[in-house]
Amino acid sequence: MSTSEQQASAPRLALPELLIGIGLLICAGAVAWQTLAIPVSPLYSKVGPTVFPYITMAGMIVLSLLLILAAIRGGWQPQEEKETPTDWKAMGFVAAGLVANLLLIQPLGFTAASVIMFVLVCFGFGSRHPPRDALLGLVLALAAYFGFAKALGVNIGAGLIENQLNALLGAAFSGKGG
Amino acid sequence: MDTLGHLAHGFAVAFTPTNLLWCLVGTTLGTAIGVLPGLGPALTIALLLPITYQVVPEASFILFAGIYYGAMYGGSTTSILLNTPGESATIVTALEGNRMARSGRGGAALATSAIGSFVAGTLGTMGVAFLAPTVVKYAIKFGPAEYFSLMVLAFITVSAVLGSSSVRGLTSLFAGFVIGMIGVDLQTGQPRFTFGTAELLDGVDVIIVAVGLFAVGETLYMASRRYAGKDEIVPLKGSLYMTAAEWARSWKPWLRGAAIGFPIGALPAGGAEIPTFLSYAVEKKLSKHKEEFGTVGAIEGVAGPEAANNASAAGVLVPMLTLGLPTSATAAIMLSAFQSYGINPGPLLLTTQANLVWGLIASLFIANIILVVLNLPLIGLWVRLLKIPAPQLYAGILVFATVGTYGISQSPIDLVILYLLGAAGFLMRRFDFPTAPVIIGMILGPLAETQFRRAMTIANGDWTVFYRHPLSLTLLALAFLGLVGPHIWAWIQQRRRRGPEHVPGDA
Amino acid sequence: MLNRRNFLAGTAAAGAAAIAALHLTPAFAQDTPQLQIFVPAAPGGGWDQTARAIDQVLRSEKLISGSQITNVGGAGGTVGLPQFVNQWKGKGNSLMVAGMVMVGAIIANKAANNLTEVTPIARLTGEFEALVVPAESPFKTATDFVAALKADPSKVPVAGGSAGGSDHILFGLIAKTAGVPAANLSYVPFAGGGEALSALLGNQVAAGISGYGEFSEQVKAGALRLLAISADKRQEGIDAPTLKEAGIDVELFNWRGVFAPPGISDDDKAAMIKLVETMAKSDAWATECKNRNWTPILLTGDDYAKFVTEDTARIGAILKDLGLA
Repeated sequence: MSTSEQQASAPRLALPELLIGIGLLICAGAVAWQTLAIPVSPLYSKVGPTVFPYITMAGMIVLSLLLILAAIRGGWQPQEEKETPTDWKAMGFVAAGLVANLLLIQPLGFTAASVIMFVLVCFGFGSRHPPRDALLGLVLALAAYFGFAKALGVNIGAGLIENQLNALLGAAFSGKGG
Repeated sequence: MDTLGHLAHGFAVAFTPTNLLWCLVGTTLGTAIGVLPGLGPALTIALLLPITYQVVPEASFILFAGIYYGAMYGGSTTSILLNTPGESATIVTALEGNRMARSGRGGAALATSAIGSFVAGTLGTMGVAFLAPTVVKYAIKFGPAEYFSLMVLAFITVSAVLGSSSVRGLTSLFAGFVIGMIGVDLQTGQPRFTFGTAELLDGVDVIIVAVGLFAVGETLYMASRRYAGKDEIVPLKGSLYMTAAEWARSWKPWLRGAAIGFPIGALPAGGAEIPTFLSYAVEKKLSKHKEEFGTVGAIEGVAGPEAANNASAAGVLVPMLTLGLPTSATAAIMLSAFQSYGINPGPLLLTTQANLVWGLIASLFIANIILVVLNLPLIGLWVRLLKIPAPQLYAGILVFATVGTYGISQSPIDLVILYLLGAAGFLMRRFDFPTAPVIIGMILGPLAETQFRRAMTIANGDWTVFYRHPLSLTLLALAFLGLVGPHIWAWIQQRRRRGPEHVPGDA
Repeated sequence: MLNRRNFLAGTAAAGAAAIAALHLTPAFAQDTPQLQIFVPAAPGGGWDQTARAIDQVLRSEKLISGSQITNVGGAGGTVGLPQFVNQWKGKGNSLMVAGMVMVGAIIANKAANNLTEVTPIARLTGEFEALVVPAESPFKTATDFVAALKADPSKVPVAGGSAGGSDHILFGLIAKTAGVPAANLSYVPFAGGGEALSALLGNQVAAGISGYGEFSEQVKAGALRLLAISADKRQEGIDAPTLKEAGIDVELFNWRGVFAPPGISDDDKAAMIKLVETMAKSDAWATECKNRNWTPILLTGDDYAKFVTEDTARIGAILKDLGLA
């Protein structure tokens, strides 16, 4: 996202928009490729499974060409968006939080992964109290886990923390129950 | 005539302390699960089915009815406050509702949605009680040709959300088509756009797309412009509830929403999303405050769709209770609960199980009252959510979105899709692509395709079915008027006012 | 800060209240060894209901202390199956619920794993299918229907469940015995039972094929006419011939059964077969089946394994004819 350029409103090629247009054209290509891969048995030749995908593909090609044309004519990004600098660092932390969650949710379980994401996202947004955020994230994640997972008997990705707590609760319950 | 007597008897069943308690538990639980994207009433009731081994039929159906109606309320709350729709029927609510919340009118949006839901839910339930046998006779006359024409009519709603450029709006719509086509083709059983992944064979859940584009995209966008200082959330401006002017602007949309929602909900393949689209389009067209749509948020755009989704929720019960037809996932699960009691739901249900059915209908009325009484005072508390500082608010939204998507399916692929769509949502915000058409395309595209191909199969390839059936023809004519009429009109006006000059950058 | 704390406290309280009020937390810890049931489908469907019925009966008969049910849904069970094969390997206390639908899905989706990789324990129930027509239909018997099909199959649109599912398979089998090429059939798949039913009630299709339970109430009310059922013999209380009696040599049960993971010991296998057999012979199970319109068709161990192999071959052949494999 090159947002620094363009003070004059003279029509000139807008690179980000051009990339979007080309990206869409590539998507249309992917649609075509996947449509060709749909096995069409002779049984359903009347209105088969590929008719609508082809219509969609044609529409996408036309639209992406129109977008490319608009990009060549100077693009369409609103002036206000162009002038706002992107805070890459903040976005980076948020994105890192998402990726961390994705990678850790299976090995570590829902709660631990959520806490890590929570802290990273808070940090990205400018909070400078990671321990406090971690605690908040923990409370929120545990509330979600026990409120929904346990009440409804849904297993939402139990990991270390959940298992420890479950064991604890189990011990407490069996202790009471005898 | 006899209906009132039955209904009185139904209230006698529902008005026992135990059953009122079940209703309260159901509505509370429903509201709670409604806020979680991915955990809907169908799944919740399915998980609670073992309860049918423990309590009498009346109690469990009253509980289920409370969950069913409650979920609609909960779904709108998060749509409005966090831009994170909990249910597919509340996606449209987020469009205007979240704008209102950001400009300090979140309380009014929540109030109009709660009261509108109450009004429409009550009207819809009255429809179930008094009109069901009549409505259902017309509903089953609806065949694939009629449905296809209804979808075509619904497509005019896209024009209401296209944004500043129809090229970009249509691009979003087509992206929605592609996402909607992912999965096994219902008509032929062939996989489409799955890239050989088994997890994609069942398609992508519309809620994941909505949450990804709206909530995750929004979070990334806000992070990217942390220093821009704009778009700041104003928690509350003016009165917490609706002002007199807001009441005046709400009541007609409520009634129109109910009128759109109930009959479409009663159609066996009507669904809850289409009436909300239609209601939104109608309200935008009729509103005297068009400038508020998509900017500070127009209350009509919340009141109408919210009324429509609750009325359609009531409508779904019409074929279920009169014919034993499960036309939504929730209805199907409720019917299997009937079976656990050895009751076979069918056309004779109303006569053989009058107590149960009328108790259920009465408890729907009660659930509606409980929900509005429960939700109105909570508005003050909910609005305070907006006062949570940005870091924790956005981090919390992401945790929430994760519970909903990953928690239920346990599939990391769902999370990948959620985050990829979040990135797409971010780019779309930056480059002024509207996101709502993606959702509309994703829901309407496959429905239109299925019904079209079904109609063609039944008619043995004869195209004329779509205009030979009078009902289908009427719907097509309406769609044509709605789609082409305003454009021709605007074009004529524009031609009159200024020359056909093209302004660069205004594509 | 204060507000947030209020909010969190409020949520926690609401959650706690809901749990306390419901008081039916099936997943709460119990320290005796449990049965683990794996359901390769979302909650609410036929396999899930089978699993919950098994759990219920085993507990009411005091055969186990409790069980935990795990749902991994998707693609007719082919998303869950690899997980059961790989991650549940050797767990002697676990069962997977599956059935004919999965056999079809494995073939149609060209799935990497199949049912020969798991340990067959028992076939439990079956639902026979029904061939129905709207009350106004000119078809009075299954013979009328087949005659019309032979004359011009494209004029006889038949509604049923998803393409390649049990309804579609039965239609293919009927056509095959009647000598009608599968390629000419006009099959109209619907996603849910309700939609297919409404197409029949609205007289939009010529006939419908689905599980008997889907239609039974409409047949009793006279809105649909039952032409034949796919069971092996006449059923008590059902006034219709079997397909075989009607001269169509087809028999089909949409069966459901249980499998243990691969790699369990022979002792575990024998114990599991005994457990399931005891359950299936109990009165509680019989009641459960009656309520849900399931026909008990118990078959265990090696006989069951043989049956699964034969059914796989039969379904594979018909799906090929239907252009789905």
